[in-house]
Amino acid sequence: MERCLTDLETRPGDTELLADIFRSVHTIKGTTGFLGFSRLEALSHSGENLLGLLRDGKLSANPDIISGLLSLMDVLRGVLHSIDTTGAEGENPELDSAMIARLDKLQLGEASPAVAAVEPELAAVAAPAPTGKQRRPRAPRKHPHTQSAPPPAETGEAGPLGEDQEEPVDAEPEVERNSRPAPAAAKPSLPARPVNESGPSPAPETQAAPTSGTADSTLRVDVELLNRMMNLVGELVLTRNQILQATSTDANFALLGRRLDMVTADLRESVMKARMQPVSHVFSRFPRLVRDLALGLDKKVRLEMEGQETELDKSLLEAIRDPLTHSIRNSIDHGIEMPDVRVANGKPAEGLVRLRACHEGSHVIVEVHDDGAGMSIEKIRAKAVERQLVPPARAELMNEREILQLIFLPGFSTAEAVTSVSGRGVGMDVVRTNVEKIGGKVEVDSHAGKGTVLRLRIPLTLAIIPALIVHSRGQNFAVPQASLTELVHLSTGENDPRIERLENAALYRLRGRLLPLVFLDRLLQQTPREIGAPCDIAILNADGRRFGLIVDGLADPEEIVVKPLAAVLREIGFYAGATILGNGEMALILNPGAIAQNANVSLTAEIEDSSSDEKGAGHRDFLVVEVGSRRAALPLETVVRIERIPRSRIERAGSRPVLRFEGALLPLDDAASDLVDQGGDPEAQTTVVVCRDGQRHVGMTVSQVLDVTGGSQLEEAGSGLVADGITLLHEKVTGIVSLANIPSLDNVVEQAPMEFSLPAEETR
Amino acid sequence: MNETHTSATQEVCSVRVGDTLYGVPIAHVLEILGKPATQPVPLAPYFVGGLVHYRGEVLTAVSLRRLLGMEASKTPEDVLVFENPDGLFGLFVDSVGEVLHVSAADHEPNPATLEARRQALFDGAWKLKDRLLVSLEPERLDPMRLASSFPA
Repeated sequence: MERCLTDLETRPGDTELLADIFRSVHTIKGTTGFLGFSRLEALSHSGENLLGLLRDGKLSANPDIISGLLSLMDVLRGVLHSIDTTGAEGENPELDSAMIARLDKLQLGEASPAVAAVEPELAAVAAPAPTGKQRRPRAPRKHPHTQSAPPPAETGEAGPLGEDQEEPVDAEPEVERNSRPAPAAAKPSLPARPVNESGPSPAPETQAAPTSGTADSTLRVDVELLNRMMNLVGELVLTRNQILQATSTDANFALLGRRLDMVTADLRESVMKARMQPVSHVFSRFPRLVRDLALGLDKKVRLEMEGQETELDKSLLEAIRDPLTHSIRNSIDHGIEMPDVRVANGKPAEGLVRLRACHEGSHVIVEVHDDGAGMSIEKIRAKAVERQLVPPARAELMNEREILQLIFLPGFSTAEAVTSVSGRGVGMDVVRTNVEKIGGKVEVDSHAGKGTVLRLRIPLTLAIIPALIVHSRGQNFAVPQASLTELVHLSTGENDPRIERLENAALYRLRGRLLPLVFLDRLLQQTPREIGAPCDIAILNADGRRFGLIVDGLADPEEIVVKPLAAVLREIGFYAGATILGNGEMALILNPGAIAQNANVSLTAEIEDSSSDEKGAGHRDFLVVEVGSRRAALPLETVVRIERIPRSRIERAGSRPVLRFEGALLPLDDAASDLVDQGGDPEAQTTVVVCRDGQRHVGMTVSQVLDVTGGSQLEEAGSGLVADGITLLHEKVTGIVSLANIPSLDNVVEQAPMEFSLPAEETR
Repeated sequence: MNETHTSATQEVCSVRVGDTLYGVPIAHVLEILGKPATQPVPLAPYFVGGLVHYRGEVLTAVSLRRLLGMEASKTPEDVLVFENPDGLFGLFVDSVGEVLHVSAADHEPNPATLEARRQALFDGAWKLKDRLLVSLEPERLDPMRLASSFPA
C-alpha cells in the first residue's frame, strides 16, 4: 500500500491505483472493526473517507494528501506494532483525534496548520525511540518511504534514499516548509510517548528486534529459487554420500565427513522447511465450499477443521487441493443425508464434516471424516460385480477392506447409478491417482450408517526419499523404502524349495502364506539369471498389493534424490525416476505399484494380512529368536537391525559387554551367553539384535534368529488380566524380552572405575 | 535450421558414427561429455542409448547408432548435450572430432534416393574436400519427437 501511495504521487490520475489503495484501507477498516480494534477502525475510517473523495475524483491527490495518508499509515503501523508486542492497541486519543482532524481538513481541500502539530507526534508513533537522536529504530533502508522523520542532521545526505521520491519520503523537510514549529519542539515529547506502553523504553538494540515483527520477519521468495535451492541441496546430499564412501577408511576424514553429513542434513532440512506451508492455505477455501454445497443440496453441514498449522511442501499442498475438494464434495453430496433422514436415524439434523491434518512419522495425514450414511459393503460388492470389475467368485471372497478398495477402481466411479447406490465414488480413482502421483496413499474406512473416513497419507517431501539399492543383471535399481516390508535371501536361487509354481505363477511360501513373485530380470527383459544362482526377494507392499520382487542382490539403503525421467522413459511405467548414487553410479527408481499392477498382483494378497490385523489390539508382530536353548520374542517394532559380527568387535566397559554401533556405544545383553561360551576364538561370529528401547538403543546376543510372526495377548483365566511378559506364538507360549531390563551405560564408570577401559585400537 | 542455409560460413562440431562423419552446428551443442558412465534403461524405446549424469541432472541420451539401425558400439561412446524446450537430452556418438568451418554454399539437400528414415533424420550434407559431412539437427533428435515419429 505504501508503494501504491508513493506511486500515486507520481501518477495522481491513476484511478486503478486509487481503487487499490482504497480497497486496502477498506479492508483494514473492515477487519479491525470485526476484530474489535476500535482505534484502528476509527483511523482507517477517516482515511477511507479521504480516499473515497480521491477515488470519486472530487479531490486530486497532492503531496499534502499523500503525506497525510502516509502518516496515517505510520500511525496504523504504530498501533499494529503495539498489538504485536503487547496484544493491545494502546491508547493515544489526542494523536488519533489530531490525525483524524488532519485527514478531515484534507478532505476539505486545504492543508491546515494543524498538520504541523500532528507531524511530530506521528513521528513519535512511527519511531518510539527514547532519545531525539535515535529516531530511526525501525530499519529504514528497507522501507525508505515509511520513514516520516529522519533526523535533521541527516536530511541533507538523505539523497540516496529519497532522491527520486519527493514529499512523503522526507516528511520532515516537507513539514518544515509548512512552517511548523522546529522539530526540536517536538522532540521533548518523544520519550514521554512510547507507543509500547510497557514501561520505560528499552535500549535501541532490543527495540530493533520487536519492530521486525510485523513486516520484516518474513519475505517472499520465488518458488523457482526455492526449487533451485532444493536441487542444489540434493546435489550436496549426493556429493556428501560420495565423500562419505570415499573417506570411510581414513579416521580424520571420517570425522570431517560426519560433520559434513550433519551440516548437509541440517541445510537440507532448512531448505525443505522454507518450502513448507501450513495446510490452512488449502483448508481456508473449504468453509465456503461446504457452505455453498450444503445450501445447494438443502442439507445442513457443519465443517470442523483441525491441525491447520500442519505444514507440507508447497508442491504437495498444491497437489492435494483437488483430491481434497473432491472428497469433501463427495462427503456432502453422497455421505451426509438430508436433515429429515438424519433425524429419523437418530442423528442431529446437522451433518458434520471434519477435516484433520496431522503428522505421522515422515508423512502428513489429511483426513476427511463425515458422519453421514457410510457405504454399504454389500452394495459395493454387488455393483462391482454388476459392472464386471471383479469376477463374482472373487468378490464373494473379498473382505470388507478389500471391497472398500473397489471404489477406487476406474469405472466404478462414473455412472450415476453407482453413486446413488453406493453413496460414494465419483472419481475416487482420480483422487487416488492424484495422491499416488505424489507418492501418497489413500485409505478409506466406512461404516454403514455411521459415516466414512477418507485418509490421505502424504509424504513430507518429494525430492529425497530413503531407498534400498538392489542389483539385477549388473544394473542398479532403487526400491523406495516406503513400500519395502521385508527381505529374504535365497542361497540356492530359484531352486529353493519354498518357491512353488502354480502353472506360470511363481509363489513363495512365506510363513505359511503364498506370496506372488515377480522376477525383475524377466519383467525388464534383461538377460535371465541362472536358475540356481543366489538371489534375494524384496517383499513389497504397494498400496495393499503384496508381492516379492526377485533381484540378484542387495546393496545398501541410501537416501536418494529423485531426478525426473524424460517423458519417453516415464511412459514405460515401471520407473518412478532416476537417481545418482553415492558411488557416482546411476540407478533407476522402481515404481512398485506399477510393477504390481503389471504383474496382476491383486489386492487379495492382503486378505491374510488384514485378517491378522483384525485379531485385535492385543496383536503384535514379534521377532522370534533362539537364546541358548529357549525361544524368546522381541517386539518387531523395536528391532532396528540384526547384525552378524565377529566376537572381537564386542568390547567391554567394566564387566559389561558393549558394541560400537553407528558411532555410538550400545549396551549389550549377552542373553545367549555367546560371549562366554566361545571363549578365546575372536573370529567366531555372533548375532546381535539391535533394538530401540525408548530413546536408547540396546543390543542382545542371540543364538539364532528364527522367524517373524504375529502373536496374541494371553489373558489370565478368570481374571482376564493381560499377561505382560509372554505371548502366544505358533501356539506356543513365548517369553517377551524386556529391553528395559538391560541396564544403561551411564553409571558404568562409577560402578567399575578400575576395570573401565576401551581398547586403544579399533577392531573392525 | 535456416541459419544453416543463410549464413555464409558456420562452425559445426564433427562427430563420427561408424564410417560416416556427421556435423552438428556448434551453437546447438551445450557440452560434450567424454565417455561418461551410462545407465541402460530396460524396456526403453530402441533409440534410447541410456541415461547419463550431467551436472546433477539425469539426461536421456539418444543413440545415433541405434537410431540408424546399426549394431551397438563395443567401446564407450561420447555424448553431446543438447537443449530442447522440455529440458536437456544427450546424443551418443562413437567419437567427437574437431570443429569444422563449412559454408552454406557447399550444402546440398538430402538425395531423393536416401532411405526414408535417414531422410527424416538428416538435414542434407556439406561437401567437404574429400568427403561428405552429414548435417544433423538436434531438433530432430529430441527423444519426444523421435518417440512419435519412429515408434518402435
